[in-house]
Amino acid sequence: MSESADDKWGIAHVYASFNNTLITITDQTGAETIVKSSGGSVVKQNRDEASPYAAMQMAESVAEQVKEAGISGVHVRVRGPGGNGNKSPGPGAQATIRALARAGLEIGRIEDVTPIPHDGTRAPKNKRV
Amino acid sequence: MQHVTIPQDRIGVLIGEGGETMREIESRAEVRLDIDSESGSVAVESVGDPVTALDAPDIVRAIGRGFKPETALTLLDGDLRMFDLIKLDAQTRNKNDLRRQKGRLIGENGRTRELMEELTGAHVVIYGSTLGIIGEPEEVEAVRQAVSMILDGAPHGAVYSFLERKHNELTGGPDIGQPR
Repeated sequence: MSESADDKWGIAHVYASFNNTLITITDQTGAETIVKSSGGSVVKQNRDEASPYAAMQMAESVAEQVKEAGISGVHVRVRGPGGNGNKSPGPGAQATIRALARAGLEIGRIEDVTPIPHDGTRAPKNKRV
Repeated sequence: MQHVTIPQDRIGVLIGEGGETMREIESRAEVRLDIDSESGSVAVESVGDPVTALDAPDIVRAIGRGFKPETALTLLDGDLRMFDLIKLDAQTRNKNDLRRQKGRLIGENGRTRELMEELTGAHVVIYGSTLGIIGEPEEVEAVRQAVSMILDGAPHGAVYSFLERKHNELTGGPDIGQPR
């Protein structure tokens, strides 16, 4: 990874569930938020919040603001709902990463940070498709 | 690095003749595949651009769930193409019910499954106790809805007319001359 003194890196936290996608870009410590966005900021209907299209639009606008803040690349931490729920990130995750890359942000490490229970509470019963 | 487990009888397909398929996945997705042919566990490790490697686990998983390698590799073609898996054993009561519902999903001489593919444009494969879908997000969503209708006991005719309606939506305008 090319991390010289003047090109700053950030962390893109992507939380992709089946109902929404949240993108938060922070500095490397993760304590200072630079930009954040969620599905509701780009679509009208609630059911579209998790769609890959919404994620793409969000990522594009986020990438622009991030570049204005002087950050040239991001490490990505994707996360699904986790816990005793669904372990895999929703449809917005891939779309977000791709759109960030396309918008000219360098992508460093991609990490999956879905919380995995070390045996916690009982899982909910199976839902219909 | 990610691990994907695939059934024994799909390992040969994943590797291909003389390792052909495996090498194609490796070069096109910029990954390295470490296949354990004893246990069926496949380690997917990104060697190049991490963004192109994003699809690799899905490609391996799709081949493991009965897709042809050519179909699985179409996941790399578009940005938004996605792979979705419906676990039928979770939706059915017991082994007999699973057999019955699989039969209903496939249809007489595979008619229902074929219509799902033709009218949405997605690829649909029923293998073991899973139903896999590869396609654009709207196509996958349409198939998902159709499958849930069938599993809920909807008559096939209703599902066909639902798919027909979706087909018109997806292609933008009524398509006259489509065989019913």
